[in-house]
Amino acid sequence: MNEQSQAERPAVLEAAGLAKAFGATRALRSCSLRMPAGEVHALMGENGSGKSTLVKILTGVHAPDSGTLTVDGRPVRFGGPAAAIRAGVMAVYQEVLVVGPRSVLENVWLGADGVFRRRVAEADKRSRAAAVLAELLEQVPDLDTPVEQLSLSDRQACGIARALVRGPKVLILDEATSALDVATRDRLFRAVARRKAEGMSVLFVSHRMDEVDAIADRVSVLRSGESVVTLDAAEATTAELVRLMTGSEHLAGASAADVAGRAPDPAAPVLLRAAGVRLHPGAEPVDFELRAGEVVGLAGLEGHGQDAFIKALWEGPPGEGSVLRTVDGTGAPIRSEQQAAAAGIGYVPRDRRAEALFGTMSIRENFSAATLRQDRRSGLLSRRAAQERFAPYRSALKIRMGRGSDPVSTLSGGNQQKVVIARWLARDPQVLLLNDPTRGVDIGAKRDIYALLAELTARGVAVVMLSTEVDEHIELMDRVLVFREGALSATLTRAELTRQSLVAAFFGRTVDEGPVSGTVAGPDAGPTTPALTPDGAA
Amino acid sequence: MTALASVRALLARRPYAFAALLTLTLLLIDIAVQPAFAAPSNWPAVLASFAPLACAAMASTPAILSGGGGIDISIGPVLTLVNIVIVADLLPNGLTSPLLVVPICLAVGAAIGAINGFMVAVLRFQPVVATLCANIVVGGLATQVQGGSVPTGSTGWTKDLAGSFGPVPGALLTIGAPLLIWVLLARTPFIKALYAVGGDDATAYSAGMNVPVVRIAAYALGGLYAGIAGIALMSLISEGAASMATQYTLLAIASVALGGTALSGGRGSLVGSLLGAGSIYLINNLLNEVNVSTLWSTAIYGALLLFAVVVGAVLTNTRRRTA
Repeated sequence: MNEQSQAERPAVLEAAGLAKAFGATRALRSCSLRMPAGEVHALMGENGSGKSTLVKILTGVHAPDSGTLTVDGRPVRFGGPAAAIRAGVMAVYQEVLVVGPRSVLENVWLGADGVFRRRVAEADKRSRAAAVLAELLEQVPDLDTPVEQLSLSDRQACGIARALVRGPKVLILDEATSALDVATRDRLFRAVARRKAEGMSVLFVSHRMDEVDAIADRVSVLRSGESVVTLDAAEATTAELVRLMTGSEHLAGASAADVAGRAPDPAAPVLLRAAGVRLHPGAEPVDFELRAGEVVGLAGLEGHGQDAFIKALWEGPPGEGSVLRTVDGTGAPIRSEQQAAAAGIGYVPRDRRAEALFGTMSIRENFSAATLRQDRRSGLLSRRAAQERFAPYRSALKIRMGRGSDPVSTLSGGNQQKVVIARWLARDPQVLLLNDPTRGVDIGAKRDIYALLAELTARGVAVVMLSTEVDEHIELMDRVLVFREGALSATLTRAELTRQSLVAAFFGRTVDEGPVSGTVAGPDAGPTTPALTPDGAA
Repeated sequence: MTALASVRALLARRPYAFAALLTLTLLLIDIAVQPAFAAPSNWPAVLASFAPLACAAMASTPAILSGGGGIDISIGPVLTLVNIVIVADLLPNGLTSPLLVVPICLAVGAAIGAINGFMVAVLRFQPVVATLCANIVVGGLATQVQGGSVPTGSTGWTKDLAGSFGPVPGALLTIGAPLLIWVLLARTPFIKALYAVGGDDATAYSAGMNVPVVRIAAYALGGLYAGIAGIALMSLISEGAASMATQYTLLAIASVALGGTALSGGRGSLVGSLLGAGSIYLINNLLNEVNVSTLWSTAIYGALLLFAVVVGAVLTNTRRRTA
């Protein structure tokens, strides 16, 4: 390790013991990072390891709960991105942030002037924007073109140019390369190398081993919100990084659901069949069969198609292909949620608050929302009927709650999720689609949900579950479909499932493989997730 | 379809083109119906009766451009409050100098606008809710200042504003002032910042822009314009008119929409709102000239407006392009 020589060089950016919690979720526990001038520092970690939170603290979007941040040796507290930019820290995100109707020139210089005071002369702006864009793009667009008329890759280049024209001390590329085409990305890497020689540092967040191999000097790994280690890039083999990102220790305690003891019947009837479902234009179509009694996991790095796939099973395919709900060999196509629900499919969405809960209504009302018909007594809704129907689910799912008439908001996240699941179970589904059902759910409630799944599959219900937790896949799934760049890239059976094999598959590798120059996806490969809101709330 | 496509392409570049075309067409029809309408001697009166709506439409524009669901529905009450303050408070107390009256009116408007902006950008109230509250409070204040009877009054320069200063129609001052202020502001980074914040506030925030200050300034600018509208209204009617607030609020927002400004923010122009107001004024005028029964005119007028907005929306294809 090269710690000695790195320690001698003064740090341009140093974070020590950063921690940040959102409610009960501790996104960042203890993160430390030291970047000398003129270094490209890669930051790697699984989904939910705290990378985004760290970047948002470094750019002033979030304030840390504890820990210190210094720039050029001086402690700083950023009140917002403006303060971070003044201190010389500027970020470009995976989400392409441009103002569509405004010109390329305005987008490149966005935020450089004050509200009323001009800080950069107009003529200066034109020449400097053109010079930076010429570094990034083969052909510089007319600076007066509305940026919405450019390709996604060129728009992202404008976002990167916005950071470069300000001459930051630290440039943060938070998966910013995912929207770039290969040629632009390579030009960006050359531009970064030139600026590195002039002393600019880059914090490079990427899921792509080939990119990290190409430009990183050192690599830091985050796991569960904590800094694990910083390595020289030369030491950072794929296998080593995967081991560091996943951790060798396993979650304590065996699953309450004895899923390992279950053996799904390979001859069980197929309940759901997807054929030729294309999730993104240009991506390989996905074929999939779901058999009764199976638990199938959907995995991959955030935004690589697994979310689109589970939605395709519920709403019908977004473009080409078909989803069939099959009964005795024949099937009815699924093209809408209504058809899916009528065909005995249940769907528990990912965003509980926005898509699943009626936040102001009671627990009982939330339970009975999809099955109100059954509570009719002589044409009127009977509260007692709903109460009686709810009781068995309440005990089966171990829902910890006061009275059924209490607002659903009084429940913990895990118990809210159980109410949503109970709502669908009341419809007696044959296929249950769960979109990351245990996100933000405490360990006890997770165990209850796992036990329920074991019971359901024993009765012949088939479950498709998207999960962002590697351990959940290892413990629960009969097989796992791994998505990468909008297509199904690997299927791991129970026997092949290990933390290492699964995470390696996320990155398009197998465990034994060393670094290879992987292919780089086109601009449409990775749909983005919102990174910022004006008030800084996620 | 290619003709439609090319019209759409034009409107994408110049969103106010539809309102410009509509205004021109209506102007020709108005002149055909009543040739005297275009007589130069008639210009000062025509412009003076157009000025309050023209200014109110421009006053409604900055809040809408600032995005985030921005809208200011207190413009009508603000302009009637200013109108009543001049007639009932300033003129009767001997404060007649324009050097005194005009700054007071502009300050009142800008201050109310700044409060609206503060509620929206800092306290983060829904713009409709915040400015609806302002609408009610300011409307109530206007009624209180007006008192039981309708106050009347005028002075030399207000008569000139409704008529002409020498050869120049006085209303050109009230209509021209907002445009001039806009042009001057465009020499600072403010107007670009306004469009950027309105177009994508998350991007503006991440680029280090002061989003709340831009929004507060937008509402204050709208309030200032509403102050000018109040002066225009006062000089036109020379009496208090608390009851006209609602009409101006609604017509002003309709003018902005007609003028090609997107209610989602970030797209549109001040000139568009002026042309939108021109269309509305001319439709109204036409109905008066052809002696449509007043019992019917409001309904017909509303239907024409709806038609114009629908045609404008179809031509402009206001759905936001994503790729």
